[in-house]
Amino acid sequence: MSTQPFLTPELLRRLQQFQLLAARRAKSSAKGERRSRARGQSVEFADYRTYVHGDDFRYLDWNLYGRLERLFLKLYEEERELPVRIFLDASESMTFGEPRKFDFARQVAAAVGYVALSGFDRVSVVPFPHRANGDAPEPATTKAEMAARGALRSVRGKKSAIQFFQNLGELTAGGVANLNDALRRGALEARQAGVAVVLSDCLDPAGYEAGLTALVARGFQVDLVQILAPEELAPTTFGDLRLVDSETGGHQEVTFGRFRLKTYQQTVRNFIQRLREFCQGRGINFFTASSGMSLEELLLRQLRQAEVWG
Amino acid sequence: MSFLAPMAFLFAATIPVVVVFYLLKRKRVVKLVSSTLLWQKFLAETQASAPFQKLRRNWLLILQVLLLALAVLALSRPFFKTKAKPAQLRVVILDASASMQATDEMPSRFEKARAEALQWVDGLAGNDQMVILQAGANTEVKQSATSEKAALRRALQACVCSDSTTRLVPALKMAESLVRDHKDAEIHLFSDGAVPELSELENQDLPLVFHRVGKSSNNLGVVALDVRANPENAGQRAVYASVGNFSTNAQQSGLELLLDDRLLETRPLNIPAGETSPQVFLANQDRDGVFTVRLTGKDDLAVDDQASIVSLLPKPVKVLLVSRGNRFLEKALRAVPNVELSTANDLNDTGTDFDFVVLDDIPPTVWPKGNVLAIHVVNTNWLEGVTKVEAPAIVDWKTAHPLLRYAGFDNVQVAESFTTKAPTWAVSLVDGPQLSLIVAGELGRQRIIWVGFDVLQSTWPLRLAFPIFIANAVEWLNPANTRGSHLLVKAGDPFRLALNEPQTNAQVVFPNGTIRTLRVDPQANELVFGETYKQGIYHLRLGTNESAFCVDLLDAAESNIKPRDALQLGKYTRVTATTLQRANMELWRSIASIGLGVLLFEWWYYHRRTA
Repeated sequence: MSTQPFLTPELLRRLQQFQLLAARRAKSSAKGERRSRARGQSVEFADYRTYVHGDDFRYLDWNLYGRLERLFLKLYEEERELPVRIFLDASESMTFGEPRKFDFARQVAAAVGYVALSGFDRVSVVPFPHRANGDAPEPATTKAEMAARGALRSVRGKKSAIQFFQNLGELTAGGVANLNDALRRGALEARQAGVAVVLSDCLDPAGYEAGLTALVARGFQVDLVQILAPEELAPTTFGDLRLVDSETGGHQEVTFGRFRLKTYQQTVRNFIQRLREFCQGRGINFFTASSGMSLEELLLRQLRQAEVWG
Repeated sequence: MSFLAPMAFLFAATIPVVVVFYLLKRKRVVKLVSSTLLWQKFLAETQASAPFQKLRRNWLLILQVLLLALAVLALSRPFFKTKAKPAQLRVVILDASASMQATDEMPSRFEKARAEALQWVDGLAGNDQMVILQAGANTEVKQSATSEKAALRRALQACVCSDSTTRLVPALKMAESLVRDHKDAEIHLFSDGAVPELSELENQDLPLVFHRVGKSSNNLGVVALDVRANPENAGQRAVYASVGNFSTNAQQSGLELLLDDRLLETRPLNIPAGETSPQVFLANQDRDGVFTVRLTGKDDLAVDDQASIVSLLPKPVKVLLVSRGNRFLEKALRAVPNVELSTANDLNDTGTDFDFVVLDDIPPTVWPKGNVLAIHVVNTNWLEGVTKVEAPAIVDWKTAHPLLRYAGFDNVQVAESFTTKAPTWAVSLVDGPQLSLIVAGELGRQRIIWVGFDVLQSTWPLRLAFPIFIANAVEWLNPANTRGSHLLVKAGDPFRLALNEPQTNAQVVFPNGTIRTLRVDPQANELVFGETYKQGIYHLRLGTNESAFCVDLLDAAESNIKPRDALQLGKYTRVTATTLQRANMELWRSIASIGLGVLLFEWWYYHRRTA
């Protein structure tokens, strides 16, 4: 699959200029291009340390020995990689909307991944619901998708971007997702905390609080992009309706007319506002997007203004 | 507990309609959505989570409040006080005469008048009372004074229009007696104003309100009908009918003559406006029968388009002359056609074998029971204070009486005569200076002509008037003629029949075929039947005999159906038709109707906005 369905070359060119801004130092054990608290080999001077027996003579500061006649070792900052985990909601509810919410989410994931890969960060995409080999696969789940899911667990290097996009393109949505479980599991599985980008509609009856809290507690810098369909923001179907939930199968009878549209929109705004307040309280960058909106608006303006990247 | 408007409970039938609206199961469209989470939150927020919320402009709320307000307003039964002033007692007189059957108002004047009267019943306020009188041939009190509207409505619905003439005076007199002691009482007359003279009520100062009904006067009517032997051909009958045109335009129609439902003749009529056309038919008749004249054209009043009369074949008149010999009298009697004259010197029985008896200066041993021409005899049972006068001058005579038709008393001298004051049962035909010389009348069922002087002691037999008088007397005393005239009664008048034999019951067959059995007192010598409200041919079965009698309108005043703008009470008093309409017009029905409309609109609006 080409990159065309996800990101235009123009957008890729502009994204190339960005780098993920991590507020915290990288804690990864692997070498990378991010400053970390670890000391190692780089050009960034960090500190001096008294020479002890066995230290590498190459790092002795001879000028200082000349003045003080004591041996000091020059310490440099070790540059490590920044793990970027993208939690991609691939549940049935994401298949709605025109364009589909899942497609929009994959585009955002592709953009985030591309920026991260361009910055030599490690990217791992965690689609949920999780489809392990032991699980009964969804009928539509193909081997190619399972392979793509496996490949997306850890991607590094800009040259992997094309493969990254192809693997994203192999993903399909379906099934019932539990946002809290997925995020909690992701937090536990991560060896090092990094940047967590959550792409979901957050319309899980079980809520989102526990999952997001787990990520924050694990030390992730969390960016949450809530993606809703235009139909969810302003329904265009009126009358006496019997609404069936695509994931739970539950139904809700409602009499909906144009006169109640404003009330409904107020309900949606209230829901988003509660989510925003929750995120603000925990230092989570929160964005809400309509799957029908311009991708550039989200990527080049909103995420940049929020200093997700710069 | 009682209800002023129990019919309002019919509105309860709308309650199931509303329930049905809510029973209707709404068909919902099934739609698959990503998640119902937002919808659940939406419903939770819109449904009452607190006992009160801020009032918002909601059209449904406004409509329902409006509906409730209308219902409450309707239940409070508001009304406008209009021009009519409230009265403590209203006497409603409903004219039920024949002219009220005119169809210029649909369906008829009577129904229109009844509907207006019903509106007045609806407008009756508080404890005001109303009396319902029906003025037809007789005045009937349909409802005595009450404020109960249901009873008043029932009474009005029970009123029936008759074929009789209007007899308004008794009704107005009764109404006057009812309102006499009531302050602010009113008499409401619902009529077309086609009423006879009301001068009796001129100075009564009646609080009369005249509600006129009727619009036009397109009517031709038979106003007179008689049948006699054709004077030029004894074998024929002459039927005399008079047809009046009471329209404002000349009218064309046809007039049919029927004998016992057999059509004999039809002739066209063209009568100018306001004119009366006399018509004479000559018809052969071989047995007793009923002549009917019928107008073929259509007009507003049907009841006067037909009239019937019983025609009995003439029979020889059997006359007994009790006389010592009077050539003038005997010759005059024999000159009358169809007279079988017998003579005698005295009368020893009641003379029942003869149609009438002529007593010529001979007081009989037994006074006859039948009709009598008594000349120069005195019966103290008939007359009181008979005195004898010498050469009385004849000062006056009644030329209008049938007996003196073409028979004047010019140049008649009398040598000697009994004179008397005319008794109550008779009229004076010829007057002397103080008292009467000739009287005639009907005592019981006996017709009597009393001549106070001996005709041979006068110049009367030498005058042409004498044989004419005798001929008139034969006709007047002939019981067949009397019987014939009794067989035609005007609608509403009682039918009377002399009973020669004791009877216990009789049957009357009405024109519509209904049979009524009458119980007759065996002692009674007369049968009286009063239910002659409908015109037509009635049949009376009495023992083995069956005879017919006719009930007709034959009233020019009633056929003149032109609605009057005013009632003339005598010379100086007029009551103009009122233009005031019903009082206390209640509005609750209109309000309830509007409320129902609002309810339906609300239902429609609710469903429209959810669509």
